[in-house]
Amino acid sequence: MNIWADTVALSRMQFALTAIFHMLWPVLTTGMAIYLVIVEGLWLKTRNPDYYRHARFWSKLYVLNFGIGVASGLPMEFQFGTNWAPFSEAVGDFFGSILGFEGAMAFMLEAGFLGIMLFGWGRVHPVIHYLATIMVAFGANLSTFWILVANSWLQTPAGGEMVNGKFIVSDYFQAIANPFMVKSVSHMFFATLETSLFVIGGISAWYILNNRDQAFFSRSLKIVLAAAIAVTPLQIYIGHLSAEQVSHYQPTKLAAMEAKWETSPAGQPADWSLLAIPNEAGQKNTWEITIPNGLGYILEFKKNLSEPVQGLKEWAPSDRPRMVGLIYYSFRVMSGIGFFLAGLMLWSVLQWLLGNLSPEKIAQQKWLLRTWIFAAPLGYIAVESGWIVRCVGRQPWTLYGQIRTADAASHLPASNVLTSLTLFAVVYSVLFVSTLYFGSRIIRHGPNLELPVPGLDNQPAIETEPATFVPDQRPVEAQQ
Amino acid sequence: MDALVHFLPQVWFVILALFLFLYVLLDGFDLGVGILSLTSSDEARRSLLMTSLGNIWDANETWLVLMGGALFGAFPLAYGTILSALYIPIFMMIFGLIFRAVAFEFREHSDRKFLWNFAFGAGSFIAALGQGFALGSVIEGIEVDEAGHFIGSTWDWLDWRSLLVALTLIQGYVLIGSTYLILKTEGELQKTHFRTAKLAAITTVIGAILITIVTPIVYEAARTRLLSPPLVYIFALIPVLGVVLVGLLLRSLNREEENTPLIWTMLIFLLTFVGLGLIVFPYIIPNQITIYQAAAAPSALVFMLTFIGVLIPIMLFYNIYNYVVFRGKVVGDMYGE
Repeated sequence: MNIWADTVALSRMQFALTAIFHMLWPVLTTGMAIYLVIVEGLWLKTRNPDYYRHARFWSKLYVLNFGIGVASGLPMEFQFGTNWAPFSEAVGDFFGSILGFEGAMAFMLEAGFLGIMLFGWGRVHPVIHYLATIMVAFGANLSTFWILVANSWLQTPAGGEMVNGKFIVSDYFQAIANPFMVKSVSHMFFATLETSLFVIGGISAWYILNNRDQAFFSRSLKIVLAAAIAVTPLQIYIGHLSAEQVSHYQPTKLAAMEAKWETSPAGQPADWSLLAIPNEAGQKNTWEITIPNGLGYILEFKKNLSEPVQGLKEWAPSDRPRMVGLIYYSFRVMSGIGFFLAGLMLWSVLQWLLGNLSPEKIAQQKWLLRTWIFAAPLGYIAVESGWIVRCVGRQPWTLYGQIRTADAASHLPASNVLTSLTLFAVVYSVLFVSTLYFGSRIIRHGPNLELPVPGLDNQPAIETEPATFVPDQRPVEAQQ
Repeated sequence: MDALVHFLPQVWFVILALFLFLYVLLDGFDLGVGILSLTSSDEARRSLLMTSLGNIWDANETWLVLMGGALFGAFPLAYGTILSALYIPIFMMIFGLIFRAVAFEFREHSDRKFLWNFAFGAGSFIAALGQGFALGSVIEGIEVDEAGHFIGSTWDWLDWRSLLVALTLIQGYVLIGSTYLILKTEGELQKTHFRTAKLAAITTVIGAILITIVTPIVYEAARTRLLSPPLVYIFALIPVLGVVLVGLLLRSLNREEENTPLIWTMLIFLLTFVGLGLIVFPYIIPNQITIYQAAAAPSALVFMLTFIGVLIPIMLFYNIYNYVVFRGKVVGDMYGE
């Protein structure tokens, strides 16, 4: 079938494109919001103006990402109605309510306090300002919570049953606390945090490597490194727990993640595939490197499997995910990055303990700093890969085991969807390039270390002559 | 229980109307300022206009996101049917809002400010146009089958009546945008917007009168309900109140008062909304699907009421606080560092 005339395929492509693009921005803002809470808190506690300037500098990158996150978030919500009307009608009782909660609890909180956080420094008391920053971070992370509740429920529907094509909820809290919820929320929470830590760390490393404001940026590098000590190993562990859940609740997805065609029985060891070329038509891997007996160790930390691991051949092709290669490699990219970032954390901590990260010596750690710069975009790639595994691996279901994606799509003329899809592809490409360009401009411009510090305790201690006021003649954007 | 089956959808109809009203009111002046910026004579003025919205546009747009989510949860059938029927105007709005939103961030760092200032203005205009067409065709009614699924064609939304609504909505946005700028600016810029407000007030009123005349003639069901007691008294009161409010608005503009034009405009919006609500109720897709048919299960409506209903006063509180913090005139870069 010609996919350019297939409404379902086009709607899927449009959702995938808009979701992949949208994910890039909130992943940074939710994590960075926590960093902003930390530095502003440190400023209030220590009154060291550097922390204040950190808050101001990073919030510029924050707001750039935030604006595009808001803009690209709108089509996510409205697409459920425009392109997935039968799905919306079937699951609105629960799924729609959760999106409503996200709006009322998360977005509104974030948006309501963002203005004060960005522009309110001179207008409200520092404590009120700090409260606004906390509310922005809290709102952003609540949004992670609700959206992952909604998505987990699509993976492991709970709290009701399908009756005549509509999901009738019997217990809303059971639906919220569906089997995947806790681990998925945690995995995504740490994913946003880890991505943001390595973006902040990578940018800081770039400044240090280029001999710009080394003392200032070794401060931020150390803050994110300290956080990474906890975050990177925890994320690997939660990832492992999530995979364990997948093997239990979504065996088709696990089989695709491992490109596993044949079932391995319980009580025996099984090989783990490290690299492969999956061949869907032939239902086998044309080429493969395996680690003997590896699968038991990966799933259960022991040699013999206690439960059978089913292969894809157990299901009819219409009941299992397609694009096995994509799922297989996305999973490997995601976990590979997870381990790489943890390794980078260990290397950096070692250098820290050896005293090589002091402001005088840090610039000599050229390869370490270069690796941090290299690591800056990796979190994004891992997050996107993880979502590909999660949602492509869920196919052919939209609501796992209950509603097929093919039945979930609106009956629209394919030309409509093709037009909007093309527009998204064009507009989003422009936005992506523009954001990279403006983001790099902010970075090249650097922080303003002369920025006057607001607040009560910053009045000059000795009497001074008031300076004559010279209005800044530069255009607004140059004044910072 | 039977009472609950009716009462809960009614409550959600009112809540959704409130969200939509707040959106139209608040993002209405954002979009209006955006449309006005297209007519600005120079870039400095345009920058000032955008600065006046920098801290609030995002919170204002969130009422739309909230309305969307709440409609999805409370009336899932209507959410799917309306949005898929209005595919083109909805995506017009979305793309318009995307350009409007990114313009705020990009112009800040760009050397070609005119490009993003234009994206801001054009985006606002396209978004308002899409919203107007969507509103117009929902009021007109959407063709559905017995199950409430859309069976019309892609271009059903486009005709002279939805165009009339779209143009009137744009005029209304320009009006409220102008009165907002009267409040937030001073000097030459303020003078300009006394003029644009007067002009927009007249064009809005002409549009509103045309819609008011056309609506009961075209929609039989609304006519029989609205032109019989007791609703006829309320419905008859609306034009009277409308005339009074427009008179007060024009007087305040002539006297060059700063605060009152925005207040009168908001009241005119409110009155229009009440009128629209009366015409539409108890339908959510006029003359086709009632709110009772489209509503989610009563349990879902209670579930949402528990979590969202409680938050409404809190959301209102901190949104108002935001306006209080940034009260006063916009001068130059006062919102910047």
